[in-house]
Order: sequence, then structure tokens, then C-alpha cells
Amino acid sequence: MTTPPDTTPPDTPSRAPDEAPTPLSTAERTEQLLRPERPMEVFRWVVTVVVLALFAWGLSADIRWSRLIGAPAEFATIMRLMFQDPDWSALPGLLSAMWESIAIAWLGTVIATVFAIPLSFLAAENLVGKPIAFVTRQVFNILRAIPELILAVAFIPIFGLGARAGVMAIGIGSIGTLGKLCYEIIEGLDPGPIEAADAVGATRSQRLRWGVVPQVLPELASFAMYRFEVNIRASAVLGVVGAGGIGSLLSQYISFKVWDRAGLALVVVIVATIAVDAISLRIRRRIVAGPDAEVGGGDGESGAEAARLEAEELW
Amino acid sequence: MSAAAPSSPPTDDGGSRPSRPPPSIFGLGISVGAVVLTVVSVIATGFSFAGVIEDLSRPNSSVQGLLNIDWSQVVNERTVAAFIETVQMAVVGTVIGGFAALPLALWNSRVGAPNAAVFWIVKVFNNVVRAIPDVLWALLFVAMVGTGALPGILALVFFSIAVVSKLTSDVLDGLDLGPVEAAHAVGARHTQMLRTAIVPQVLPAYSSFLLYSVELNLRASAVLGLVGAGGIGTRIEFYRGRGEWSEVWGIIVLFFIVTFVAERISLTFRRRLV
Repeated sequence: MTTPPDTTPPDTPSRAPDEAPTPLSTAERTEQLLRPERPMEVFRWVVTVVVLALFAWGLSADIRWSRLIGAPAEFATIMRLMFQDPDWSALPGLLSAMWESIAIAWLGTVIATVFAIPLSFLAAENLVGKPIAFVTRQVFNILRAIPELILAVAFIPIFGLGARAGVMAIGIGSIGTLGKLCYEIIEGLDPGPIEAADAVGATRSQRLRWGVVPQVLPELASFAMYRFEVNIRASAVLGVVGAGGIGSLLSQYISFKVWDRAGLALVVVIVATIAVDAISLRIRRRIVAGPDAEVGGGDGESGAEAARLEAEELW
Repeated sequence: MSAAAPSSPPTDDGGSRPSRPPPSIFGLGISVGAVVLTVVSVIATGFSFAGVIEDLSRPNSSVQGLLNIDWSQVVNERTVAAFIETVQMAVVGTVIGGFAALPLALWNSRVGAPNAAVFWIVKVFNNVVRAIPDVLWALLFVAMVGTGALPGILALVFFSIAVVSKLTSDVLDGLDLGPVEAAHAVGARHTQMLRTAIVPQVLPAYSSFLLYSVELNLRASAVLGLVGAGGIGTRIEFYRGRGEWSEVWGIIVLFFIVTFVAERISLTFRRRLV
């Protein structure tokens, strides 16, 4: 664990000038001249100690590590059972269940976007007063903190077993992140286009259409797509609690150790997720960068975008 | 939809309005695609708002529990113990997974990988790890080593690897290559180059991602218990099985408070780091 390189202030030399009597050999002198001083490391040490202490405390949980001894052999056996002779007859059912998962993730994302946009107006301090904005933001924070699977658990008594509970869990769960993003965009709007629309006598709706929507739409669409990628991962396991999609098959096959089907199920989930990620990434890049940027197309998102996504806590 | 439609050719009739730019084919395609996908999704899931309204209008045990939250969960001994286990799982999982993620992130970039073979193997490995959701890891490890905190920790290890290696390798892609050239110029070996030219550049971001991953792991560890992998989810599953929704909501509220506090602490440190 580490820290940013703290720089020592230049006015504190490592040796005070008045304690210089010990003459230095040429080698020592060269060394001293060539090597910069080491940066201050107090913060670094504190963090290291705290992390080690927490880690040691964490290890005191009832873990029973001894069970790990048999794990590699068990892993090898499971891999062999999974992929040596997969039960292909399960494939059509798995594919249609995966499709249901994708549909749940997509519908959830659409619903979240539809609800997040009007709600985010209530969270933007430049549109409503601070108290209302504060309350709305707390609602977003609560929604952001609760995992979709927990929402699904809570929703099943309401919507029954099946995809409806899953769609609602994904939808409600994503309102928090999308709403947060949305009000941040609104608060950061460039007033120029809006003033320009006012100056040429635009009506309220025209001002919205030409001053606001073009600024908001690309970024919002790109983030909704990103959220869709995240939601695929969530919806793939919703079935574990009975909320639709491929999760119920996954959990049955794995818990009852039907490995020749579980392996196929895993492959379906992994391939579908990676494929949707790849398509969505291309679309997002095109949305944000415009048609001309398509030509270059490097590999991987830029560090800046990663840092921004991370800051938005959209994972 | 998208920015930068090609500008229309200039018209020479002076002050009249410029001609409308042609609609973007990409924008149209995306809009149509989104509508079509939504329609087929509605068909696939049988989703309808009428159904949602109807379900909501019926009394149900979950909402009744929410209206009557059992606050005594705060002092319930077994619930508190499960929360402590959740935090311990998150810490151990992040530390192990986070440290494993650094080399995986370094090798995931062209600058950091010692050779092309390692680069591709690590890239495929990272993509596969990233595509498997946390609960699925937990299911697999419960099947392998049995129930309890151990499969939960193992699941969180892989989940942290996915998060930290992805975020860190994205930072790596936007790196300043000057120090790398400098290291090569003075004859550094590959590991020396990594140690002196790359690692110092990504360390602040990497540390911040580690803290972020503790937060994510705390949230994730709440659901791992639903499949038997320890932590607070075990308690949620216990009360859910008995239909005691007041208790379930009590735990969810507590869980929210715990993650909120953790997020505040972690944010303070992350601001200091970046």
C-alpha cells in the first residue's frame, strides 16, 4: 500500500550545514550529488501498518483455511467434468435464459433512465432549492447503496417469482447512479447555448430542445449504455433468488453439481457478457467522440475515462 | 443523437437561415435499435406497467415489513457478528485480490507485458474474470470448498482482481512513456523498468482503486450470503426464509449505514491520494 510521493520541502536539507566536519570521500560525494533525497514516508508507513492490522484482524474470522488444501484437486476435477463432455442438449434452454437476462438488464436500464431524468431535476441545486436537492440526493444515495440482488429479494413478495421482480430490481437499483450522473450534468450545463436560444426568442420548449438536450444527450446515452453493461452482470445472477434470467439455471446446476451443464452455462454467461461489453464500448465511443473519431480506435478506454467512471461509482 | 453532423454547404442567399443538416445515420440507427430492443425485451420478459401497478396495489409481506422495521437488529448479537464477518471478508478479499491485481494490470498493457504471449494470456484471463459476477464466483466456491466465510473471501478476491486490474490497466494505457524510455536508455531490465518507470506513476490511482474496491466488496459481501458464502447475507436469507420481513428490512437499513460510513472513510482517504 502506498501513497502519492510526498515531496520534502526544498528548505530542509538532509544534513544541516553546520554538522559537516566529517569529510566525505569522493564516492560518497558523488552518491550524494547524484541521488535525490527519498521522499517523506510517514504517511506511507501509517497506511501500511493500518492495512496490515486490518488484514490481521480480518484473518481472525472463522475462515477454516484448511479447506483450501483440497481445493486445487477439486478445481481440476470440476474443470474436467465441466468441459470434457458438456451436455449440449442444455444449450437451447441456456441461450433463451441468457436472452431473458439481457432483456431484464435492458428494460431495467430503460426504466431507470426514464425515471432518473425527471428526478434529477429535483436534485440539481440550480433548478430547485438546496433542501429539495439534498433530500432527492439522499434518495439517490440509498438506491445506489443497496445491491440489486437484495432489492430483488425484497421485490419478490411484491411482484412474484420471475422476470418482473428482476426488471424492477435492476430499474430501481440503477436510478441512483443514473440520477446522480444526470444532476451533475445539469449543474455543469454551459449557459451559452441556453442564452443564445433566449436571445433569438425561443419558447420554453425550444430552449430545452436546442439549448439543453444537445448538451445532455450524448453523455447521458453513453452512461446509460455503460450502466447496461454493469446490469448484465447483475441480471445474470438475479435468478439465484428467483427473479428471472439465467441465474436460476446456473444456481441449480452448480448447487446440484450437474457439472456437464454448469460448464456450458458459465461459458454462455461469459461469452454473452464479453460480447455485449464489446458492442456497447464501440457504441459509447462513437456517441461521445462523434463520427470522425471512429478511424483511430485504440485498444481500451483512456485513463481519463476510467478515472471518471470510477469517480461516478458506476461499476 | 451524436455530435458533429457535417456542416451544410454555404448558401449564398445572404441572411436566410442555414439549411438543416442531414439526420445522422448513426443516431437514427441507435434510436431505432434502442426502440426495437426495448420492444423485444418487453415481449421476452412479459413485462407490463399495468402488472406492476396491480402488484403494488395488493398488500404484501415485504412492504408491511418495511413499514414496521425491526430496529432491535442493531443489538442482535448474531446480526452484529455477521456484520463483523462481512467487514472482515471485504478487507481480506480486497487485500489479497488487490495485490494480485497489480501484476495482472501491468501485464495487461503493451508497455508492461514482458512479451506478447503473456500480454494475450493475461488479457483473456482478465476479460473472463471480469465477465463473471460476484455471486457466480460465490456459487462456484461454495460448491468447491463448502459454505462459510472462505468461499465468500475467495469470491471477493476474484471480484477485486476484476475491478482493480481493469481500472488500473485503463490508467496504464494513458501513461507518460518518457520514464519508460529513460529506464530503457540507462539499460534497465524489464522488472527494473516496471519498478522505476511505471509503478510510481500508477501507484496513487491504484491505491485509490483498492479503497474503492473495499467499498464494492462490502456491498457485494451482503449478497454472497444468499448463496451460503458467509457474511450478513446469511442473516438476510435466514429471516427471508422465515418470512420475517421486519427483520430483513432492519438488517438492510443497518447494512446501508455500514456501507455509508465505509464510503465516507474511504472517500476521505481517496481524496488524499489523488
